[in-house]
Amino acid sequence: MIWLAWRQFRKQALFTGIGLAVLAALMIPTGLSMHNSFDDLGLPECLRALGGNELVPASNESCSGAINQFNNEFRPVLLIAIPFIFLPLFVGLFWGAPLISRELEHGTHRLVWTQGVSRRHWALVKFTLIGSATLAVATGYGLGMSWWLGPVSQTGSSRFNPLGFDLQGVAPLGYTLFAVALGIFVGTIWQKVLPAMAVTLAGFVGLRIALTLLARPRYLPPATLTFPVQGDAPQNNPYSGDWVQAQEIRDASGNVVLDNAQAACPAGATSCGPGLSGGDYNWLLYQPADRFWLFQGIETSIYLALAAVLVFLAVRRIRRIS
Amino acid sequence: MGSDDDLDSELALRTDRLGKRYGRGRAENWALRDCSFRLPRGRIAALVGPNGAGKSTLLHLAVGLLAPDAGTVRIFGATPFDNPSILADIGFVAQDTPLYADFTAAELVTMGGKLNRRWDGGLARMRLAQLGIPPDRQVGKLSGGQRAQVALALALAKRPRLLLLDEPVAGLDPLARREFLQALIGSVAETGTTVLLSSHLLADLERICDFLIVLNAGAVQLVGDVDDLVAEHRQLIGPRDAGGDIPGVAAVVRASHTDRQSTLLVRTDGPVTDPAWTVHDVSLEDLILGYLAETQPQGSHTAWGVTA
Repeated sequence: MIWLAWRQFRKQALFTGIGLAVLAALMIPTGLSMHNSFDDLGLPECLRALGGNELVPASNESCSGAINQFNNEFRPVLLIAIPFIFLPLFVGLFWGAPLISRELEHGTHRLVWTQGVSRRHWALVKFTLIGSATLAVATGYGLGMSWWLGPVSQTGSSRFNPLGFDLQGVAPLGYTLFAVALGIFVGTIWQKVLPAMAVTLAGFVGLRIALTLLARPRYLPPATLTFPVQGDAPQNNPYSGDWVQAQEIRDASGNVVLDNAQAACPAGATSCGPGLSGGDYNWLLYQPADRFWLFQGIETSIYLALAAVLVFLAVRRIRRIS
Repeated sequence: MGSDDDLDSELALRTDRLGKRYGRGRAENWALRDCSFRLPRGRIAALVGPNGAGKSTLLHLAVGLLAPDAGTVRIFGATPFDNPSILADIGFVAQDTPLYADFTAAELVTMGGKLNRRWDGGLARMRLAQLGIPPDRQVGKLSGGQRAQVALALALAKRPRLLLLDEPVAGLDPLARREFLQALIGSVAETGTTVLLSSHLLADLERICDFLIVLNAGAVQLVGDVDDLVAEHRQLIGPRDAGGDIPGVAAVVRASHTDRQSTLLVRTDGPVTDPAWTVHDVSLEDLILGYLAETQPQGSHTAWGVTA
């Protein structure tokens, strides 16, 4: 049975391998150059000195120059990471969706299910092989992108940003396994390859957008941070990696003066800006940077649980198909 | 129950009030209903009926691809659904002889070896070599006849006790059809394998089958040994409105009339000696068509929006 599963999968595995090799050939040189530049600009020391606290002394300007230089150099390079967000979808479309639907479309399930192997065994071996391959691809993807994005996520672009969060860590494991499980299950309902792929596409994209926009910001209640607009008091640290969900400037009695804004002016300044007075303070609603792995864990668990349910349903459906 | 078990050991296939619905919830949609018959071992049986009669459904129930919604089906006494142990005894060739198009014939033989405990790969290779089928070309690039031969070779390599074939020759030209059926008969004659073969092609069946199952609109119309069936049916031609019971006739299967005379297909239970009727023997084909014509297809006038 393993022989058959591999014989049917090997062409897809080969194409995927070639595709991943091409991507690696693109990502490794750019990643190395980012890491080198990051080190050469002295950013590790500078950021370490700054610390990971939410508030830093107002006079701290030491890192901004180097960080700006780094960002100016590499902002265009970041664009090549965007296609990676579709990688789990592609795995689901080209590995998951055809797995069952192609057998049903061509009627070959009637050949293979009437040999001496039970359908449950057949499904188990096929799912295990494709699941292991998916796990390998997704692990390589998550680890590789964590390394590649390492410098970027310390220079003002939080790991919580959509491109940062969805491309690195363990979340890609959840997305990819879910996409494959969705493809497999959809293939048992829409029993032709193209409709199965179309439904997988719609289902995956729809759920990803919905969970990203609606669920992720609410995994944990956000924290708040306040600091004065004027004076020598510590200011918000832009490189802490926090996920700022809302920011306002409020007056001393708590009314909102300016929405979606943040301000800082030295203690001696006479006027701080239009409409701002001495007693105003900045108010931030945020998810602290150290919640990154917790959020990754929650998001990954959700997708893995959905994948497990879909695989279970697929096995049940397979029993009823003739 | 004891006598049933004794009987089962002599039967390759047995169905009791077997039924299968299609769709969901709509009780009236039966692909197969109240289907009861027994197929003894060692026979080559034809499963005949128009499209949609339930032939494929019956074969899928027999090979365990489908679970019955009513009644039972037994293969050598065992229920086939979700029962992989009985799969070893059944060779199945599905409609349109599905094969993995990107596999070579040699790879398919290897595949069979990986998926079956009992597997005679040498037999399959020998057959395919005799038929001149290239081992290293993808089967998707073979002709329809060659693909059907590969599918048959794979089914036979299981050394099955029961071979189920769903319209194996439907897509083949007459020459390929004859070669396929010759190959089939040649191989099952040696092993005593029971065969159940569905087909539209009555002339082919008449040549090779010794048992007949006629299915129409999901119900069994006629079952039995071909020679017995042919022997007990007669065609009678006589005057119109001869009326009354004819001695020796058990049942009239089908009657057709012109202004002056009537033609009857009858089942007899003794010699018909009434001088008003001329008695003719019937061929298997006449017999099958007579039974199939008996039940007219249900009209779909309403569905078409016209009056009957």
